[in-house]
Amino acid sequence: MKSQANRISRRTLLKGVGVSMALPWLEAIPFHADEAVSGSAPPKRFAVLFMGNGISPNNWWAKGAGASIELSKSLQPLASLRPNLNVITGLFNKNATGVGIHPGQTGNILSGAALQKGSVLRGGTSVDQLLAVHFEEDTAQPSLVLGCEQPITGYHETNFSMAYSSHISWKDASSPVPMEVYPSLAFDSLFDNQGSRRTSSILDRVKEQTVALESKVSHGDKAKLDEYLTSVRDVEKRVQRMRTTKDRADDKARNKGRPTLTMPRPDNGLPEDIREHMRLMCDIIALGFQTDRTRVATLLLCRDLSGLFYPFLGVRTAHHPTSHEDQSDSYERVTRYYVGQLAYLAGRLAQMKEADTTVLDNSCLMFVSNLWSGTRHDSSKVPILLVGGLGGTLATGRVLDYSGQGDENRRLCSLYLSLMRRMGVKAQRFGDATAPLAGL
Amino acid sequence: MFGKWRISFALSVAAITVTAFGAWHTLRPTEDAQSNVMAPASEGPKSPADRLESRFASEVRPFVQRYCFECHGPKEPKADLDLSRDGTMTVVRGNMSAWSMVLERLQANEMPPEDATRQPSSAERAAVVSWLRDLQRFEAEQMEGTAAPVLARRLSNAEYDYTIRDLTGVDIRPARTFPVDPANEAGFDNSGESLTMSPALVKKYFEAAKLVAEHVVLKPEGIVFAPHSAVTDTDRDKYCVKRIIDFYHRNAVDLADYFYASWKHQHREQRGRSGENLELCATEASLSATYLAVVWKALTEGDAAGPLAVLRHEWRNLPGPDRAEAARAGCQRLRDLVVRLRQVLKPQLNKLHVKGISDGSQPLVLWHNRQLARRHRTYSGNVFADLRNLAEQLKGTDAGLADLLQVKQRDADSEQRQKDSLERFCSAFPDAFVISDRGPYFDPKGAGKGRPLTAGFHLMQGYFRDDEPLCDLILNEGLRRELDALWFELNFITQAPERQYKDFIFFERAEPPRFMREAEFDFARSEDKDATTPDKISRLAKAYLTKARKHGTSSEAESAIVSYFTDMASEIRAVERARQAAEPSHLAALVAFAERAFRRPIMDAERDDLLAFYRKLRKQDGLSHEEALRDSLVSVLLSPHFCFRFDLREPSLHRISDYELASRLSYFLWSSMPDAELLDHARAGDLHTTDVLTTQMRRMLHDPKARGLATEFGANWLDFRRFEEYNSVDRGRFPMFTNELREAMFEEPIRYILDVVQRNRSVLDLLYGNDTFVNRPLAQHYGMPDLPAPGEWVHVEDARRYNRGGLLPMAVFLTKNAPGLRTSPVKRGYWVVRRLLGETIPPPPPTVPELPSDEAKLGDLTLSQVLARHRADKNCAACHRRFDSVGLVFEKYGPVGELRAKDLGGHPVQTVATFPDGVERDGLPGLQAYLRAKRQKDFIDNLCRKLFSYALGRSLLASDKKVLEDIRIRLETDGYAFGSLVEAIVLSPQFQNNRGHDESRKR
Repeated sequence: MKSQANRISRRTLLKGVGVSMALPWLEAIPFHADEAVSGSAPPKRFAVLFMGNGISPNNWWAKGAGASIELSKSLQPLASLRPNLNVITGLFNKNATGVGIHPGQTGNILSGAALQKGSVLRGGTSVDQLLAVHFEEDTAQPSLVLGCEQPITGYHETNFSMAYSSHISWKDASSPVPMEVYPSLAFDSLFDNQGSRRTSSILDRVKEQTVALESKVSHGDKAKLDEYLTSVRDVEKRVQRMRTTKDRADDKARNKGRPTLTMPRPDNGLPEDIREHMRLMCDIIALGFQTDRTRVATLLLCRDLSGLFYPFLGVRTAHHPTSHEDQSDSYERVTRYYVGQLAYLAGRLAQMKEADTTVLDNSCLMFVSNLWSGTRHDSSKVPILLVGGLGGTLATGRVLDYSGQGDENRRLCSLYLSLMRRMGVKAQRFGDATAPLAGL
Repeated sequence: MFGKWRISFALSVAAITVTAFGAWHTLRPTEDAQSNVMAPASEGPKSPADRLESRFASEVRPFVQRYCFECHGPKEPKADLDLSRDGTMTVVRGNMSAWSMVLERLQANEMPPEDATRQPSSAERAAVVSWLRDLQRFEAEQMEGTAAPVLARRLSNAEYDYTIRDLTGVDIRPARTFPVDPANEAGFDNSGESLTMSPALVKKYFEAAKLVAEHVVLKPEGIVFAPHSAVTDTDRDKYCVKRIIDFYHRNAVDLADYFYASWKHQHREQRGRSGENLELCATEASLSATYLAVVWKALTEGDAAGPLAVLRHEWRNLPGPDRAEAARAGCQRLRDLVVRLRQVLKPQLNKLHVKGISDGSQPLVLWHNRQLARRHRTYSGNVFADLRNLAEQLKGTDAGLADLLQVKQRDADSEQRQKDSLERFCSAFPDAFVISDRGPYFDPKGAGKGRPLTAGFHLMQGYFRDDEPLCDLILNEGLRRELDALWFELNFITQAPERQYKDFIFFERAEPPRFMREAEFDFARSEDKDATTPDKISRLAKAYLTKARKHGTSSEAESAIVSYFTDMASEIRAVERARQAAEPSHLAALVAFAERAFRRPIMDAERDDLLAFYRKLRKQDGLSHEEALRDSLVSVLLSPHFCFRFDLREPSLHRISDYELASRLSYFLWSSMPDAELLDHARAGDLHTTDVLTTQMRRMLHDPKARGLATEFGANWLDFRRFEEYNSVDRGRFPMFTNELREAMFEEPIRYILDVVQRNRSVLDLLYGNDTFVNRPLAQHYGMPDLPAPGEWVHVEDARRYNRGGLLPMAVFLTKNAPGLRTSPVKRGYWVVRRLLGETIPPPPPTVPELPSDEAKLGDLTLSQVLARHRADKNCAACHRRFDSVGLVFEKYGPVGELRAKDLGGHPVQTVATFPDGVERDGLPGLQAYLRAKRQKDFIDNLCRKLFSYALGRSLLASDKKVLEDIRIRLETDGYAFGSLVEAIVLSPQFQNNRGHDESRKR
């Protein structure tokens, strides 16, 4: 079978040691005119990196502007990315305040919706999923929803479901998007099994059945079935194109004597080491963005009420109990480690050339936590870091503080509305925001 | 103006090789294919065919050449209509549907257009018109009694949704996002002519199929569809928990029922049932015989002290046998009393504590739950203290009863006697039959906060079953098994045990007090795939117990810990084994699903092919069982055998198979797939027999699914299909037009038509009926004084009092045919003559001036005066006199169908109009009188034609004329009963036969 052959060749190709060398985006496209992305501007991408339980408040600040921004201790990993950075403080999510601690402060971090207590889940569609629908037709995978920690679904003492602590991406008001925690399967969802190949298998079968049936019906009915067959073929062709883009991009790059960005398919199962786990997930996002197989990603680095451990940071307690002492050195190290993940992903994207720019220039990576202070379970403001210029639509190298500007003017959802609009979604409102964020 | 022509070509009887890509001229029949058309009629030189042929050559062809070719010749023909190709009558006959249109345009003087170079004389025109009519008649005679081919067609959007509903048992409505189906000439969206396919639609089909597959739930035995998607853990939890809770609700126990049954039994002699035993008594009241015996015994047998004595006292004081109502109320008071007393006797149980382990940890919470679950029917309190508490409970309300609890002597004998009674009381009346909602571990009273079936752990998910009293006392064997199955399915479907155990690992390691904080627990990681292997579980059990012992546990706590790990391991293994074992049943269910989806028996080869596909997905594509099953299911829903209806080829005109007949019938009467009964008859091969067919048809018309006919036929025929989304009303000016009212307006005609269908009423009721259906908002809108209860629909027998009744004055039509801020007699009248009476009226010329959009801006004139001027214009009058008056009589109804005395400009409304027959009539009664006197046959004709076309899923042709006439006669002789119309259609050769298209072309 053809698809089988493709897979083997790609696998073989990917076997080599990952060398990160960017393939210019424009060269990655299209051998057929109908595949060309309209216009010449590279696509815009959006990723969210979520850290549960807040940051280290005393070590989270920035001053100045541009390349000379002064960064606090926890933000040091971003030193080399200062020109690409926006440090935003003072934003808040109204519906995540006054509802008790933890799950109620988390499940709506990307939607701004009010959450329902008890066993029946009710919240709102998250910003990434709205963008996913927007780009549905343009990419192989509308969005990547990844996590480095398994979701749980018990009840917190506030009577909110722990599902709210475990999921930041929601496809609608009542269902979270199933989160992929296995790097191997996340990789497959971009290039292999999950999407296009399954589609092809099904369409193949439908075609076979239709052809077989055509021989049994009258001439007139055959015309009707032909119409169906042609339509199915058309859809399949589209899917095939999606599938082969990566192969052809690889071929073309190789022909020019330049290696494309490759990464071997991660092993099955979960990585033993959380560092490896997070790195792989960041790589997969980078790969997805570079090859334009997806433009939207969320990565739950850890959930709220996280049970992750960091022996390599010299921290013996799990994430959540550690966050209860957010003034501690331990938690500062944890926070810095998480900011390091953002820096790592941004660094990968910055190396990927895309026409005269880089993939990072055309992306917006957002780092966010549900709390400001884990000790006080304080969600009256949330920490935000944005990296990347979103295709020239977002000024960078800035420190923006919205504290004290009045609740109306510091809505987290206003930020989402601003970003959505810059990515081409014509929305008038989102969550509890009816206006974009002023001064962004 | 000629935009429609292209479609009508595709509809032509002979233009058989229709495709959606539709360049019609490539589809035109060749002369060869038509060569023997004349054969049957050619009986001699003066045969009718010959005469027509020679008239065509001498009169028609020259006319067409002279007056039509300028636009409709070979060079860039307008509207893609090239009449030059139809050089002989033979070709014209193969192209009848286009020529019917030519006839219409010629008759209406619309063609040639005014600005054409040459205009025919009226005699020339008349000659061609008369020739075309003769040809039509000739065609009808030739084709009489033969069935025209019914094209293969995909399911319409509505049919798709209904079919998915009946196939899965849940109303998913995936077609909501499909593009709107186009309608055919007859106005219906259910025919092969109009139902085309496109890549965009295939994509939608694909998404729809995936959406449906997302609802699949794999059970230990077979598959089922959840009402919501069931992919994520939270959705699966929701599904399984709800089923158990629903079961508990269905089997909830009301003690009052048991007291009442006991009371009846006690008075059995007075009730003339002296021989009645208790069991029969239970059966008649649909109660558990086991439990009724328990209650009876508590009420009547043995010694009674304490609360039991209180109960008996009250029981004896119930009213006598002649006062059943009062006794019933007494039993309810008795129930409340027992519940109150029983609360006092609830077991008190201390919690287990282990140093270093959270009170909310799983082993401890489960231990506590188990202890309580065992004590629902036991008594273990302090006798005298409890009696005091009980008396205290009664003092305020029933001081007399409290006295019954006084104990005079407090010796051992007395204590024993009291204790026995307390035990019997507690045993007969459990403190709960079921615990379906549990508070969190730190607040057991916090139940009832919407955490159904939860075990009450801290942070961790986990369920706990606690329904022993229900199982022991109430449920029969069958119900017990059902409940056991539901609980096992919860574990099976949601993998609850495995998730619960992984949560345990997370919690004990990470959350305070972090019992598993030491390095020796580091091997246990909830994220590891092997976390639940027997080895790892027993290793963790050992380490956990070792540490607990070091902290000094009670033996009770130790055994709680040991049994926790053993239970978890065995539950996890049980689910694992069952999941393995269930796979073959899922595959069998997949095949059965395909069979139902294809609406016929599945052939061996098809079954093998489907299973081979599943195996390929697993082996070659590396999918899991569940993924492969879902994808196989998707492939079934995308199969042409599911989404198309077609007829396997046969060489000639033939009776369709019983399976095809089952589908024709069910898509006609239900807009959905055939049910088991129909398929059974198809299997037995007797569906086509007149008896079975008419019996089935009558059964189907009574089925609630006949709503499919009322909605899909009714709403398309009467043009209100998408009224639910109708937004052309200015809600500022008409605040009463709420979404609820809009919905009610849409619903009214559907209910009305459904009533005509189900009660086999006269179809004339549609026009003249005195009754209608309303709900609260609609009754309010219609000014009816008696408002139905919220959410209810009622039948209003005499709606005429409120100027309603039948279809004509229904708000939906009056609103839809009014452009917002004024009424539109033109549109309303046009709707009546076009939709109800079936007149075809050509579209207005483009130069028509617009009326002001707001009645208030008409100045001194009323709408009726404005329209009168307009009819004075000769160009308009020809058509408008046919319907303006019919619309004017509705002036009493405003733009949203509300009754009014004055129009929006403040003028009194004027409802008197001169009808097309020159008679002046007033209002709705006037219109009805006109219809009855002059147009009833038109209405009946049109209804028969429309329903016949809808039933066949194609436009009608000349060859259908004779049968149509038979159907009409049958309807009229049967007193216009709707059922006889349907019966005549179903028994017609057109409905029961089909022909291969290849054949029909050769005729």
